[in-house]
Amino acid sequence: MVRRLAFVSVAAGLAAASLLAQGPHRGGGPGDFAFVRAEFGGSNKVVQGAPYSAQAVTQFTQTLANGDHIQRNTTASIARDSQGRMRTERSFGNIGALSATRGSGKNVMIFDPVASKSYVLEPESKVARSMPIPAARLANSSPHMPHDLASAKTEDLGTQVIQGVSAQGKRVTRAIPAGKEGNEKEIDIVTETWYSPDLQVVVMSKTSDPRFGESVYQLNAITRTEPDPALFTVPSDYAIKEGRPFRQGEARRGPAPAQ
Amino acid sequence: MNENDRELLEGLQALAGVGPREAPAHIEDRLRARFRKEKRRRNLFNWAPPLIAAACMAGIALLLGMRSEAPQPVAVPSAVVARVTAPAVDEDSDESFYPLPEAEALPAMENAMVVRVQLPVSSLQLMGVPVSEERADASVQADLLLGQDGLARAVRLAQ
Repeated sequence: MVRRLAFVSVAAGLAAASLLAQGPHRGGGPGDFAFVRAEFGGSNKVVQGAPYSAQAVTQFTQTLANGDHIQRNTTASIARDSQGRMRTERSFGNIGALSATRGSGKNVMIFDPVASKSYVLEPESKVARSMPIPAARLANSSPHMPHDLASAKTEDLGTQVIQGVSAQGKRVTRAIPAGKEGNEKEIDIVTETWYSPDLQVVVMSKTSDPRFGESVYQLNAITRTEPDPALFTVPSDYAIKEGRPFRQGEARRGPAPAQ
Repeated sequence: MNENDRELLEGLQALAGVGPREAPAHIEDRLRARFRKEKRRRNLFNWAPPLIAAACMAGIALLLGMRSEAPQPVAVPSAVVARVTAPAVDEDSDESFYPLPEAEALPAMENAMVVRVQLPVSSLQLMGVPVSEERADASVQADLLLGQDGLARAVRLAQ
């Protein structure tokens, strides 16, 4: 209840802020967004000695009350070299159930812990926004969200080979008891994760939450050879600019730039 | 002593001759009840200020308690919010993000990115955030914290 109140507060803040925003929404219907900019696409988990390349595919499906379905797919190209440098090329045409009103917001993000630099390449403008990575931020720790697992049940799914990679599976089922959120029946939220100890990445995950939808994430076409080193450098035809991280209170005035 | 004085004296003597007189019992009962009521009222007034003060303190404590139970802002992976200028000690994480309910069941983030988007307030409904229908058409800039799967874990107002 308190949690819901807090979200209502956030929503109220959003509504109030919208009065100062960029005027009426242009184009698109509910659920759409306009990509503005991406920031820092690296990782703070540096994995060395386990290079790979893959295509990451995420399929998000939402079932509506009338039985209709909303389905969104996103893809990303991922590469990591033996030094732990990472490159992610991703389009932001969809984010979960949201779809971009225009453009795809294609960005390339390079995380280079060797040079303590990160870059966001913007192909449309040929600009590479550079930001330093403080050494303290290269800790070998995996970030994770605070999940309420007090009532969760975890099952070991054993080991499988997925896309040529050995992966350990586990299924976590979390139940929301009837009545807790106004629900008549118990809601089961199931998350299945397949993790590769060799690559130290999740190669597949499935999440089913009846309240919001289902998502499937999978690494396809995994190759474990050393990627082309050029992938982790800024192309010569890009202008490098010192980037600045997003901060609150710095929203752009006027409509979002077209991509 | 004139005639009037004599009549008054005789009257008083007659009255004195009747002996000591008391108010009727019901009058005494009513008086006692009235005194008890007045005493209770005074006691209440004496206790009112400390009672009001205690109620105020309890209310403040309750509000503070509710704030502490509010969803804890998400500690964004430090690499995601690297700052260019003179990093301060407390800049290792940005706690201004609020977790989205739809992200509760998503796998842990291996790497993350922040995407600034302009979106209608109604879009937040699809993320499980209740919003006022009256503001649904307005737009706002927000930062979305995405995991390796491109799904949003948390949101932060840009404005």
